[in-house]
Amino acid sequence: MIDYQYLIDYFEEFPFLIQLAWRISGLFLVAIFLLTIYLKVIRYHLRKKENEYKVFKNQYEALLVEYLYADEESEEAHTKQKAIISKIKSHIPIKYKRKMVLSVLYNLLNEVSGEMAESIKTLYYETGLIDYALTKLENKNWYVIAKGIGELRRFKIEESYGDIINFIEHSKKEVRNETQLYLVNLFRFDGLTFLNELKTPLSEWTQLQLLEVLQKFDDQQICDIKPWLKSKNDSVVLFALKLAQIYNQFEMKDILIELLSHDKKEIRICVIEVLTHLYGIEAKEMLKANFNELSIEEQISFFGLLEKLVVPSDEPFIEKHIFHKNFEIQLLALKILKTINLDKFMGLNKLSSNKKAPVMFKFVNNIS
Amino acid sequence: MDTSTVKIIIQIIHYLFFAYAFSAILSYIILAIISGKETMEYLKRNSFVNYKDILSSTMSPSITIIAPAYNESLNVVENVRSLLSNHYVNYSVIIVNDGSKDDSLEKLIEAYDLEKVDYIINEKLKTKPLRSGVFKSKNPAFEKLMVVDKENGGKADALNMGLNISTSKYVACIDVDCLLIENALQKMIKPFLEVTDAKVIATGGVIRIANSCVIRGGKLIDVNLPKNLLVRSQILEYLRAFLLGRMAWSRLNGLLVISGAFGVFDKKIAIDVGGYDTNTVGEDMEIIVRMRRYMEEQGRKYKVSYIPDPLCWTEAPDNYKIFISQRNRWTRGTIETLRKHRKIAFNPKYGSFGLLSYPYWLIFERLAPIVETVGILYFAVLVILKEVRWEYALSFLVLAYLFSVLFSIVSLYSEELTFHQYKKKGTGYKLVLLSALEPFVLHPFILYAAVRGNIDYYFNKNKKWGEMKRKGFTSNTA
Amino acid sequence: MGKHKIVIAEDNSTLSLLLKFRLEKEGHELLMAVDGKEAIELIENNKPDLVITDIMMPFVSGLEVISHIRNKLALEIPIIVFSAAGQEEMVLKAFKLGANDFMGKPFSPNELVIRVNRLLS
Repeated sequence: MIDYQYLIDYFEEFPFLIQLAWRISGLFLVAIFLLTIYLKVIRYHLRKKENEYKVFKNQYEALLVEYLYADEESEEAHTKQKAIISKIKSHIPIKYKRKMVLSVLYNLLNEVSGEMAESIKTLYYETGLIDYALTKLENKNWYVIAKGIGELRRFKIEESYGDIINFIEHSKKEVRNETQLYLVNLFRFDGLTFLNELKTPLSEWTQLQLLEVLQKFDDQQICDIKPWLKSKNDSVVLFALKLAQIYNQFEMKDILIELLSHDKKEIRICVIEVLTHLYGIEAKEMLKANFNELSIEEQISFFGLLEKLVVPSDEPFIEKHIFHKNFEIQLLALKILKTINLDKFMGLNKLSSNKKAPVMFKFVNNIS
Repeated sequence: MDTSTVKIIIQIIHYLFFAYAFSAILSYIILAIISGKETMEYLKRNSFVNYKDILSSTMSPSITIIAPAYNESLNVVENVRSLLSNHYVNYSVIIVNDGSKDDSLEKLIEAYDLEKVDYIINEKLKTKPLRSGVFKSKNPAFEKLMVVDKENGGKADALNMGLNISTSKYVACIDVDCLLIENALQKMIKPFLEVTDAKVIATGGVIRIANSCVIRGGKLIDVNLPKNLLVRSQILEYLRAFLLGRMAWSRLNGLLVISGAFGVFDKKIAIDVGGYDTNTVGEDMEIIVRMRRYMEEQGRKYKVSYIPDPLCWTEAPDNYKIFISQRNRWTRGTIETLRKHRKIAFNPKYGSFGLLSYPYWLIFERLAPIVETVGILYFAVLVILKEVRWEYALSFLVLAYLFSVLFSIVSLYSEELTFHQYKKKGTGYKLVLLSALEPFVLHPFILYAAVRGNIDYYFNKNKKWGEMKRKGFTSNTA
Repeated sequence: MGKHKIVIAEDNSTLSLLLKFRLEKEGHELLMAVDGKEAIELIENNKPDLVITDIMMPFVSGLEVISHIRNKLALEIPIIVFSAAGQEEMVLKAFKLGANDFMGKPFSPNELVIRVNRLLS
């Protein structure tokens, strides 16, 4: 006891700074001790959950397969299905089990179609999983809402349309994107009408996802993309250009040609590429005429167009550019010249052996 | 000299040291808090993303993986196989064989049915010339692969060759011995496609340590904690740096480094700034600083992004000699980069890049080992002169030590609560113990290597190319 | 129709379980692989009568599996490939390498059974 008191006195004689340092050290030590113990607890739980997850996954995959194949048969199969549903139902109030069932379901939903997809959807309704998704829409956290919308999209739940459409102008872009994806997933091209009013940029990532969804449908009857090509929202124009290319919108050529004078370079380049794809011969003379006013990227794209749509009368124009200072343009010019006038190319080839770019001549000469 | 003046000077020095240590610690805490927030935000943002959704899209932007190889004959065939098995539709792989003296090329030709093809290179970046030429596979199953055999010019030169040849919009520069997780490219490309209010110029990934992990057929099967104490300590170090440091810099848009082991770049900008610098040992840090500088000077809004998921696994040095030479090189790389771009320092023209990230890097990364060494020397002098006030020294040493242990443990938490890679029973306890040991088994060597790096940089200019023993090309910065 | 050996390479575990269940009911013997490498091992060791493989698989792709069967092993067994939407190019390559049939995901398992039986008869 005396020793103890002595220590305290000794400590209190130290200057303030030292006292403070020791006090903080003491605090740290306690923190380290507590955190170490808690780390053990966390790790234990994570491990346990993971093991349980594995066990349940195996169990549920088997159950699911059994369920899906039960409907082919008799009354007996029907009762079996009922039993499976009630079994799953009893487990899903637990969050991680619900997550697992969901992931098994939509992993499969991605890969199968027809009757089987329908029975997965039935299962989704009957087990009450859908109700959990619907309550997510009312959550105050944006990421929970986004998750809920994503889930309803994957299972193609139309009833929730009324609730989900309200999120189309949500302040978080993630929520908006999920909403857009939902619309397109359920209503295909009709779901794209949100583009008419869209003020916010449509990111490249979302565009790709939307295209991906659209390509999955068998019915590829596209709607009118004209208003989007004329949109004031540049990202909508870019998206419409992708649609024009994928769905071969030959009838859009006039608008595309107008777009060649769009303010944005990125759009102009993209238009040239789409026109190349759509055999936009009409654009050729126009671009040729003001070739020198184009940016270098547009010039390169234009030569890409020429490579595909060249006719013998383009020869003088091509010839003008076979010594273009841009590598890509020169290469394309030589390649094109070779295809339309082999003799001239060979003649040049001989001449140029000691001039500039002999390597390129040789290269173009060698390729078939 | 007047004794009172000396006393005042010494007093000032004391305060400076104290202020330095205090602000360093404060900055760690602040960065850790920001990192925690950003990580949570990241996980929320990605909790509902299904990366498979964009997996098969042929409209997805093209990416070229550029992997320079130098005398990698031992593993090159397996490594390439792993690079070819990424889950992304629109990508290709360029292996740049940088004048290897071994039979790497022959092995690749044999394993992948390669044949020489006619190829003309648009030399936007000046590089060493081709040696045997450009090779592609006859087997359509390996259509993504291209092998370029060139004369030796170093890693930066090899990467520049890859940049010249690539026809993609984006390039992923990677060490050939890195193991990529299957959806690595999707995750790394996402920031480029997703951010609409700024131009993303590069995305960096986390590097994880693959020593002792089970890798079969180019796939990570099982994650283990290595037995080797040095490697183990580096795991802790990487966790701290990546989870508690870099994530915060990503939030502040102040990342100065993307690991040379794995980073994705906007190719056009990488070429416009002149590609990799062949005159530095720190080309991976240097190119990011230069790209940032370029964007700032052009007045364009930009971002360097960062993905915390464990996507890239690589071997860390497992003996002190190689470790020290690696860190020596990192130090020189940092010095060279900072010196080359010193115009940025404290220059308000460069915004937060000039006023925050560059100075931070200079003061707390570049100068830290020097300050520490000076401190140790000063302390030694005091010991000799018997001037040490032990009650101070002891209390602050203990405090500093406990802080570092606590900080490591916090980094363990951030790992457990996010990616939880070390799942095995008993590993947690080992990692905590390691947090207590690491200040003794790793830090002194890092310090030593950094001091050596400084000495080599200033007094030993010939030592430009300290090579790692086994590998020519491991990254200069993690 | 006799009992046939079929190798399926598919990394989605639920789907492969489903297909196994379905095809076993048809009286076939099923060998399951989760990636191309396992598939090749199974094919070399078991000499199956038919192979079903996904195109996109970790490590060894479906294309490589086909190339291995046709070129390295020189087997004439029928091969069916799965592909996702938008992978037309891959499908073309698969056919070039010697695949016999393909099914785009999502597909109907019943249709797969019909195609399998047709190729085996």
